[in-house]
Amino acid sequence: MKTQRSADIAGGCFLTFLGLVTIFAATRIKGGMEERLPPRTLPYVIGFIILVSGVFLAIRSWRFRGEDPVIKWPDRPGTIRIFVTLVSLLIYIALMGLLGLPLSTFLFISFLVWYLGRYRILYALFIGFLSGLISYILFIYLLELSFPVGPFLVR
Amino acid sequence: MLFSWEYLLQGFATAFSLQNLLWAFIGCMIGTLIGVLPGIGPSSGIAILLPLTTVLPPTSAIIMMAAIYYGAMYGGSTTAIVVNIPGEASSVPTAMDGYEMAKQGRAGPALGIAAISSFVAGTLGLVGLTFFAPFLAGFALAFGPPEYFALMFMGLSLVISLSGRALLKGIISMALGLLASLIGQNPLTGAARLTFGSVDLMAGVSFISVIVGLFAISEVMFNVEQAVKAINVTEIRDWMPTWADIKQCIGAMLRSTGVGFFLGLLPGCAPSVTTFVAYDLEKRISKHPERFGHGAIEGVAAPEGANNATSSAGFVPLFSFGLPTAPSMAVLLGGLMMYGLQPGPMLFKQNPQFVWAVIASMYIGNIMLLVLNLPLVGMWARIAIIPFPVLGPLIVLCSVVGTYSIRFLMFDVWVMFIFGIMGYFMRKLGYPIAPMVLASVLAQMLETSLQQSLLISQGSPLIFITRPISAVFIGLAILAIVRGVWVQIKSHAPEIALEEDEG
Repeated sequence: MKTQRSADIAGGCFLTFLGLVTIFAATRIKGGMEERLPPRTLPYVIGFIILVSGVFLAIRSWRFRGEDPVIKWPDRPGTIRIFVTLVSLLIYIALMGLLGLPLSTFLFISFLVWYLGRYRILYALFIGFLSGLISYILFIYLLELSFPVGPFLVR
Repeated sequence: MLFSWEYLLQGFATAFSLQNLLWAFIGCMIGTLIGVLPGIGPSSGIAILLPLTTVLPPTSAIIMMAAIYYGAMYGGSTTAIVVNIPGEASSVPTAMDGYEMAKQGRAGPALGIAAISSFVAGTLGLVGLTFFAPFLAGFALAFGPPEYFALMFMGLSLVISLSGRALLKGIISMALGLLASLIGQNPLTGAARLTFGSVDLMAGVSFISVIVGLFAISEVMFNVEQAVKAINVTEIRDWMPTWADIKQCIGAMLRSTGVGFFLGLLPGCAPSVTTFVAYDLEKRISKHPERFGHGAIEGVAAPEGANNATSSAGFVPLFSFGLPTAPSMAVLLGGLMMYGLQPGPMLFKQNPQFVWAVIASMYIGNIMLLVLNLPLVGMWARIAIIPFPVLGPLIVLCSVVGTYSIRFLMFDVWVMFIFGIMGYFMRKLGYPIAPMVLASVLAQMLETSLQQSLLISQGSPLIFITRPISAVFIGLAILAIVRGVWVQIKSHAPEIALEEDEG
């Protein structure tokens, strides 16, 4: 996956697989042939398009001989930053139902601002607190949207 | 005839109501903010705010969202000139000469001419929209399901073939978008498909999740990766352009309006394309082409004009055919559909007061932007340098809140998360994003019109080529694809999508 060619071969193989899965999943769609557009037709067509373009992409890249651009993957610190950001987002989403929007927002924003910016902890906590407070006032109190409020706050 | 002066005047009356003026104003402010902030573009900006507008009546909501859109197109120029950060890809040509002018101490005139040019071209573009859209809509009244299917098919094929050299990857991107929207219930029969027995998947993939993930989350990942921090600001000395400056630019403004508007009617011709074309045109016909790139004031006027003319033009196919030509238009279409308004000829017939109020509000919004932005430039420039470590987490927060509040399903937030990662890899590996976004928005209409067409023809697909209008659209689509294939065969480079605009 270092260069465009190897990435495209890998991508082509993955798409071929995805096309096969789609076609397989489409065979299990229930429904009769009495409709004008049988319910399996579109999934078959799309699965087929994905399968064929995947095969085509893989073969084309396999046979490709020419200048092969290198893909700019992030360096090690960059990869770690992306990974930590994604994991904290994952935890944020997962915790929202339990802790409610304001509290989980406070934790998420404080952590990420601190982690990405290396600010003083107090500053990060302040931004986090402000975000949590605004999200509570705006979305739950004023707009009355049904976000999870969490155990410590009232609607 | 779907146009009448009476409708337009009524539209102005509605748009001038205090409430609608307020929402247009708020929209302009938010839009400019979105345009100014580099990490977030018009499509993702509108998408994450869309669900929050549900508390407003439809007319005010769409007035506000349209204002966000053209405000964002406008705001990109400010930061391009002052800090050399184009907020959107369409502002890149503006930065080329605008930042040079700023370095020479002429940031004020550059900003002024950008504002004036945006205003002139935006307003002329609106005049085009006012007369062109109802005309086309009148024409589209004769459309049946086969014509609609063919039209959307053509729209998709143009977007694919215009997405750089990567035709095959464009097709893949489109197919993946269609696949995502097939998941869930069959719109006609309600039967489950591709759900693998999962109850969550029955709800289907909301295209707002797709858009927010592909644009906002992947953009945050890109910025996190590069550890973007802060940037330098140039000093602004004199503020206004002189009459001589304006006179020098009138030609550029008018030409770029023409270029921006007419190219902007085509699906896939996003502002990022038309601004470059307009810039290039000015350089070619200029008597002193060597000044371009070194602070030529026409080099600021032309792309800014084209930018705004294109954004006005994008509303023509949206309102008259219900065909979005760019991702941000697709999001607006989603907004209209959320309110049960189906864009297309029937919109002009059944909800004239709505359409004309929105169109009229755009004239007002353009004036607002001009008045707002000249004195507030300093403020916007300061906002643009909010450090990314603070801005990035806030964008993520808005994305989560925005996607959750469409249906109040945590499932939608997870989908956004997954599409964020997917968008990151797609952009790294050179797959264009626009076809996927358009496909996921259009999928349901495509499927419904296909089903209806086949009902009419009793199952024969020949209906798409025996009806003249639909045959023309299908023909154009095939031409676009054949041209794309031809370009592919001739070039021996690997497939990489051009870094595209989300406009």
